[in-house]
Amino acid sequence: MRRLLFILPLLTLALMAGFFAWSLTSGRDPASIGSVVVGRPAPKLDLPALRPGEPPLTDADLRTGKPVIVNFFASWCTPCLAEHPLFTRLSEREGATIVGIAWKNKRDDALPWLKRLGDPYQLAGLDLDGKTGLDWGLSGVPETYLIDGAGIVRRHYRGPITERDLNETILPFLKGAVK
Amino acid sequence: MLEFLLALLTTATVAALLWPLLRMRLPVRDRLSGELAIYRDQLAELEREREAGTLGPAEAAAARTEIERRMLAAGDAAASGAKAARSSDAVQKWLPPALSLFVPLLALGLYLQTGRPGLPAAPFAERGTEHPAPSRQMDVAGLLAEARARLAQDPNDADALAALGEGLTLEAGGTVTQPALEALQRALRARPDDARILYYLGLHEAQSGDSKAAIARWRDLEASSPPDAPWLPMLRAEIARVAKAAGIEVPPTQTTQSTMPTPSREQQEAMAQLTPEQRQQTIRTMVEGLAARLADAPQDRAGWLRLANAWKVLGENANAADAYARADTLAPVDARILADWAEAHVRQLAPGAVPSPQAVAVLERLEKAEPRNALALFYLGVAAEAAGNKPAALQRWKTLLALLPADAPIRGMLEERIKAAGG
Repeated sequence: MRRLLFILPLLTLALMAGFFAWSLTSGRDPASIGSVVVGRPAPKLDLPALRPGEPPLTDADLRTGKPVIVNFFASWCTPCLAEHPLFTRLSEREGATIVGIAWKNKRDDALPWLKRLGDPYQLAGLDLDGKTGLDWGLSGVPETYLIDGAGIVRRHYRGPITERDLNETILPFLKGAVK
Repeated sequence: MLEFLLALLTTATVAALLWPLLRMRLPVRDRLSGELAIYRDQLAELEREREAGTLGPAEAAAARTEIERRMLAAGDAAASGAKAARSSDAVQKWLPPALSLFVPLLALGLYLQTGRPGLPAAPFAERGTEHPAPSRQMDVAGLLAEARARLAQDPNDADALAALGEGLTLEAGGTVTQPALEALQRALRARPDDARILYYLGLHEAQSGDSKAAIARWRDLEASSPPDAPWLPMLRAEIARVAKAAGIEVPPTQTTQSTMPTPSREQQEAMAQLTPEQRQQTIRTMVEGLAARLADAPQDRAGWLRLANAWKVLGENANAADAYARADTLAPVDARILADWAEAHVRQLAPGAVPSPQAVAVLERLEKAEPRNALALFYLGVAAEAAGNKPAALQRWKTLLALLPADAPIRGMLEERIKAAGG
């Protein structure tokens, strides 16, 4: 019995080593936490407009019969800067409808940021307290959702979108190839 | 200095550890004598009890025999144990001091193997000044202000638009923003083949997820750039970076560099192991191999220039001058190479000798490219004096004298020659 007790730490070590080895080799992405909103109607959208003088954002903006890209961003977020040129392109060259939501970001910070980088958003909302982000299952910024014409969430990207996302899912989705 | 202090500190620590460790005496026989003392006490006690009558003589004798038996057993155990214990005693005594010496010695050995005591310190505070960020930020602000001022005067100034695009990009930490993109696209209309505009437009394409377009644009730019364009290394690195990130294969470009092999890393490392004589011999063999290959491929200008440089390093100045001449016939060399070529010529001269006509021809070209080149001024002066043209010689030497720093060692010699020529 005593001897078994001595083997216990060794056993623990072996178990942990086995788990780490599996984690490293199985190709599992530990950052991926899935998304509960994919395949369901888009969560509630009821936000004041970011740009002064524009009407507030409502659920109707997501059910126009055309695909919509919803992007949560913040001026304080560096990956948002990295993905920004992709949205510029989507808006300018691909004619995509993009809804931008400034998340936990003051209007006085978000507006100059958009002015400096260029504003690719057809509609822009302000989620200062992050409550809408909570409804949408947001874990941080940047995150991006693809919503089809009926208002169903089809894709959820956690983190900045990349060239690969653009070519493999976003552009085909906009052309109606991905349902 | 710091290394020395650390070594001193380590020595002091080891000494402080060793001192008590070496002085320590292990209790060797104490156990046996302690045991015996107890048994003697017990015997004395027994004797007292027997005399007092509390213990019968028979019991007293039995107890005595028992105690004596134990005393003998203790002695036997100590005698046999001492031998076995001696080796472990020695380990106990010598292991701690040995370890306390071994660890710092191991560290020293490792340091001598991998350490670089000559490496200058790089404190964080000083690194900040070397880092280009603050000065570059100043530059960006200045660049933007200047570009905006020029655009205020002429809103279609292509250079200013390009500068604005670059400034806005640098301001955003290297992201080509939409305003930057608009400025660059307007600038491109006036300057369709400006390298800076094309580079930043390609960068936008790369950042906006169109790596293919970026690489195509950059490769066109690379192909249309002159072979010695200063941006080429950076451009090639960017092409490689974007291609790798996007998983695009980029065929190697046709470079104008020499097809002659340069020594590989292994060869260079092997060279470092040789003695100076062996190294010299190896280099000579390699240079002769290069010369032989060039005899078969005489159109390789870069190869000739490498050969010329190699001969010059080996001190074979006549061969070097020939190789420079071969490169020059393929395409005229620039001022920097002219200076090396002229040097290869004048190094062949005996002291006081007059440069050969070939040397004069090279020196004259050098003087034309660089009117203030000291080598050209001096030796063309010598040639002019030898040809009887003293005023030309004096003029060159006086120019040279004015260019020389006050403490130049050849000043005295030059002044004497000027005097001798009658200046």
